[in-house]
Amino acid sequence: MGQSLRSYGTLIGVAGIILLFWVLLPGTFMTARNWLNMSQQLSMLIVVASVMTVVMAIGDFDLSVGAMASLAGVVAAVLFVQGYGVPVALLGALMVGLLGGALNGALVSLLGILPFVATLATLTIFSGAAFMVSGGKTISGKAIPDAFSGFAKGGMALGTIADKPAVLPWLSVLALGVVAVIWVVLEQTAYGRRLYAIGGNMEAARLAGVKVVRLRLTAFLFTGAGAALAGLMYASRVASANPTQGDGLMLAAIAAVFLGMTMTPGGQPRVLATLAGVVVLGVLDNGLTQLQVDSYLREVLVGAIILVAVSISAIGRRSLGLR
Amino acid sequence: MATSEPPAGIFVNRKIMRHLVLEGVAKAYGATLALRSASVSLQGGEIHALMGENGAGKSTLIRVLAGLERADAGQLTLDGVALRLTGPQDAAAAGLRFLHQEVQVVPGLSVAENMHLAHPLPQRWGLVDWRRLYRAAGVALGQLGIGHIDPRAGMAGLGPGDRMLVRIAATVIAGEGPEPWLYVLDEPTAALTQPEAERLFAVIGRLVARGAGVLYVSHRMDEVMRLADRVTVLRDGALVSTVDRAAMDRDRIIFDMTGRELGTLFPARSGVTGAVVLEVEAMCAPPLAAVTLAVRAGEVLGLAGLSGSGRNALLKALIGAVPRRGRVLVDGVAVAATPEAAWAAGMAYVPRDRRAEGVMLREGLGRTVVLPHLRALSRAGFLDHAAQRRVVADRAAKVRLKARGASQPVAELSGGNQQKVLFSRALAGWPRVLLLDEPTRGVDVAAKADIYALIRGLADQGVAVIVASSDLPELIGLCDRIALLQAGRIAREMAAEALTEAALLAAIYEGEAA
Repeated sequence: MGQSLRSYGTLIGVAGIILLFWVLLPGTFMTARNWLNMSQQLSMLIVVASVMTVVMAIGDFDLSVGAMASLAGVVAAVLFVQGYGVPVALLGALMVGLLGGALNGALVSLLGILPFVATLATLTIFSGAAFMVSGGKTISGKAIPDAFSGFAKGGMALGTIADKPAVLPWLSVLALGVVAVIWVVLEQTAYGRRLYAIGGNMEAARLAGVKVVRLRLTAFLFTGAGAALAGLMYASRVASANPTQGDGLMLAAIAAVFLGMTMTPGGQPRVLATLAGVVVLGVLDNGLTQLQVDSYLREVLVGAIILVAVSISAIGRRSLGLR
Repeated sequence: MATSEPPAGIFVNRKIMRHLVLEGVAKAYGATLALRSASVSLQGGEIHALMGENGAGKSTLIRVLAGLERADAGQLTLDGVALRLTGPQDAAAAGLRFLHQEVQVVPGLSVAENMHLAHPLPQRWGLVDWRRLYRAAGVALGQLGIGHIDPRAGMAGLGPGDRMLVRIAATVIAGEGPEPWLYVLDEPTAALTQPEAERLFAVIGRLVARGAGVLYVSHRMDEVMRLADRVTVLRDGALVSTVDRAAMDRDRIIFDMTGRELGTLFPARSGVTGAVVLEVEAMCAPPLAAVTLAVRAGEVLGLAGLSGSGRNALLKALIGAVPRRGRVLVDGVAVAATPEAAWAAGMAYVPRDRRAEGVMLREGLGRTVVLPHLRALSRAGFLDHAAQRRVVADRAAKVRLKARGASQPVAELSGGNQQKVLFSRALAGWPRVLLLDEPTRGVDVAAKADIYALIRGLADQGVAVIVASSDLPELIGLCDRIALLQAGRIAREMAAEALTEAALLAAIYEGEAA
């Protein structure tokens, strides 16, 4: 009982919520257009939550992803303002992400600072840096080239639905690509297996020959690069960049990973489960918005639903004696 | 609220000594009988030593006393009245206190606060009354003659010996609840230096003088001979003997502890050895000092010694888990001091604490088995799932692992099968050198026989094996040669075949006395 409730409880809940919105919102919720639209809205969160899964697989986490996304976005925008082209701006933003990730990784693995403390500090640093780089302003207008902002407007044609062209946005394609890459890394490589080993039992992993320090450092490169990518996606979507636009990603990404962990047999972070977690958050937001639920109440409801899912999972695990 | 001095000496004026009797206590874990029929009679004002080999049932007896395990059969009486222990709170209510070799303290708090963890802090107007707190702690320390510890000092600065003294002194702080009268000390000196142990003995003497009883569990014969008023020996979960101080005799106790046939638990030695596989030259890693040894193909070398002698540290140094100096060679090739290099060179390690150092409890057992061998079991970094499945299934069959499959979480397996998971892991890379730290700790007899047969079978295939063990019959029955470690050095080496347990035990204690 505990076992099945723990493994499928969240999925049953998700199905129930989707069904509820389907019934309450006939003709607008369960449509291809709505879901394609949702996929674009969620694409940044999917990227950040996927890379968050990598660090959470080793039992760490990264609070600085949101600030890093903001910083990467404004760095790209400032490079545009200075007249550089798209490749330079993309490269610049990703380099910032990798450097920031390397800083986080070094603090956590080489110096042994708790990830909470280390990434809380770098969150502040990245956030301040984003304000400095942008001068505290939103960078928009002509400086942002069409080649950059056009990317978010385009997509992959899927044919026509009800006489209108259905398009899977490039941002969604990109996000699914990131999920695929992270899935391969975590599930199909020796590297990924070693990350999970560190998360499962760090001392046992070390004694079994896993280079714990080195691998912990590299895991933070994923969050740095992923956050930077998400920041670029955001900037492309709104054709502008401001120093706080990625900030909301961090808590939502951690929530998505935790929700996903309630759906895996061992309670581990797995990237496909994380994707499901993102979908839960997205569906709730989308459905409740369409139902015109007050946005403050919406936050209360989303938080409560996360708590319920995680509580059921914790109770199930305790009944297995795994806590 | 009026301030009041703690009463001076809670045992004083107590004319009738309290007594606790356990009779015919039995306890089974699954099919394993940890206790068959254990009896011991404890009373206030005396030190009662409990002795027995590993697996004799000492720990289980203590767990029953502590209310952590319910006995399947047998009687407990306290002062002539039947006593039921259903949980730790019952044991505390009966006046029992337990101290283990690793004392649990809160390092961030002061000595006085640590002493009040189980007592309400003295308060005034809802705030902590620090003066009274320190005074109460000081009085309690003083009653046991512990003058060198300042109640205001931070606990973090205290060594293991002083921490233990603080914990003992905490029990004599006057509180509500029943007065403690019986102290169960489990290997209290294992982590202590000689001066620390002496201070502990003085405090134990004061406790007994106040009328308290002590159940003293130790492997150290000298301490027992010096301190104990009576000695009870357990063997195979049953009482063998209880003797008074006048009749206490070292050889007799050793005989009582070991007088058992080794039976057919151990496979026959082949006696055939090949070339030297593992060479260790002047290896240093605390507490080891310049250890030199060699193990041949087909040979099982046992490491004997008291805890802290370097028995377990030697294996950790060999696998590269701790920094080391000196040279380690496998088949003549030097091996770097990292676990990665050691596994790659054909060394395989089964750690002593399998849950903390070996397995990933929540993950499928296959994950633990393949972990050190991922490089060989993947192609260009990508996992070769088929090869992994083959290796896990093959090794699981070799060690006779009882599990549903590779995806069953290790946490669901019995201790013996968890150990077999680690043996599967060790075998998965065709090891040249097998390093086994307490390979049958917490393992039932059937699994033990499997593990012994497996070890000997591997040796016969040309693997060099080192077994560190505190289980003397295991060392004698399984090994070809036994190296005795004392204070980080190999004191002597003995052929195992002609050795008796009594002789080995005597050799271990002899070194201690010298």
